[in-house]
Amino acid sequence: MGETVDNMTDFSAPTMIEGIAQVVAVDGNMAWLVPESGTSCGGCSSAAACGSKGIGTVASRLEARRFQLVNDAGLRVGERVVLGIRENALLRASITAYVIPLATLLIAGALAQWVAGSDTVTMAAMLAGLVLGLWFARLRAGRLMAKGELAPRFIRRASAGETCNS
Amino acid sequence: MKEYALLIISAALVNNVILARFLGLCSFMGVTTRIDTAVGMGMATTFVITVSSMADWAVGAYLLEPYNLWYLRTVTFIMVIAAAVQFTELTVKKVSPHLFQMLGIYLPLITTNCAVLGIAILLVEHKMSFIEATLFGFASSIGYSLVMVMFAGLRERMALADIPRLFAGPPIGFIVASLLALAFMGFSGMTS
Repeated sequence: MGETVDNMTDFSAPTMIEGIAQVVAVDGNMAWLVPESGTSCGGCSSAAACGSKGIGTVASRLEARRFQLVNDAGLRVGERVVLGIRENALLRASITAYVIPLATLLIAGALAQWVAGSDTVTMAAMLAGLVLGLWFARLRAGRLMAKGELAPRFIRRASAGETCNS
Repeated sequence: MKEYALLIISAALVNNVILARFLGLCSFMGVTTRIDTAVGMGMATTFVITVSSMADWAVGAYLLEPYNLWYLRTVTFIMVIAAAVQFTELTVKKVSPHLFQMLGIYLPLITTNCAVLGIAILLVEHKMSFIEATLFGFASSIGYSLVMVMFAGLRERMALADIPRLFAGPPIGFIVASLLALAFMGFSGMTS
C-alpha cells in the first residue's frame, strides 16, 4: 500500500492546463489564435446527435474566441501550438466570474427577505446584488489581468495528429 | 429558518440532482476527466441554475399562472434558460474578455443540460415561494457541483490505477458512479 502512495502524483502541486490552438493570422509581433474544441461534449464522436455542435454552440463560437499571443517563437499561419495556463488561474477566473456575483446576489436576497419579507422586494434586491457583484468581478478581473495571471503561455508546437486527449 | 435548512439538505444531498434524480448525466460523464474542469463547470452551472430558477419562478408566477398557460411550461423554461445562458455569456464577455476566453467554453454546454430544466420544472410543480425556489435552485446546483468534483477526483485517481483492460475508461467510471449513487442512498429518509 505504501508503495502505491509513493508512486502517486502530487495532486496539490500547481500544474499547467494544456490546450491546443491554431494560428490563424500573424500581425507583426503578435499572433492570432483560435482554440480547438475541448475534451467535452462538442468534440465527442456522437456530437452530431446530442445538439452541442451547431448554430450558436461550441464549434461556431470558437471563431469568436480568437485571442492574441506575443509571437516570440516565429509562428506561421496554420501551425498548431500547445498553450498552457496555470491550473489555479482557471479556479480564480471561475471564482471571479461566478462566485462573487452569486454571493452578493444571495446575500442581498437574504437580507431583503429578512427585513421586508415580500417577494417583489427580494427580487429587486437580488437584481441589485447581481449588478453589484458583476461590478466587483470586473474590478477583480482587471487586477488579475494586470498581474498577467489570465494570459495563456506558449509551451511548444503541437506534433501532427496530437489532440488534447492524448 | 429550519424549513430552509431542510430544503437545502434535501435538494443538495437527499435528492441529489445527479445521483438521485439522474439529471445532467451528459456533463457528469463528459466534463469530469479533470478536477479543474469539473470545478469550472460546477461553478458556471451553479450560477446559471440559480439565476434561471429565479427567472423561471418569475415567469411562472407572473405569466403562466395568470393566463393559465401551464401546458407551455417546458417550452417557456427552455427559452428562459437559453436567455439566462446568453445573459451570462454576454456579461462575462463584458466584465472581462480574458475571463470569457478562459471560461466561455462551458456555457453552451449548460444550455443543453437537462438538470437546469429539470430543476425549473420541479420547483414549479412543488409550488414553492420565490425564496424557496431560489434556495432550491442554489442547493441543487451545489449538490451537482459536489458530485462533479468528487467524481472528477476519483477519475483522476483511476487514470493512474492498475485497472483490467476490459474495464479501463468509461466502464469503471460507470461502476464508480453506481457505487457513489448507492452511497448517496444513505441520505434518503433524512428529509422528504
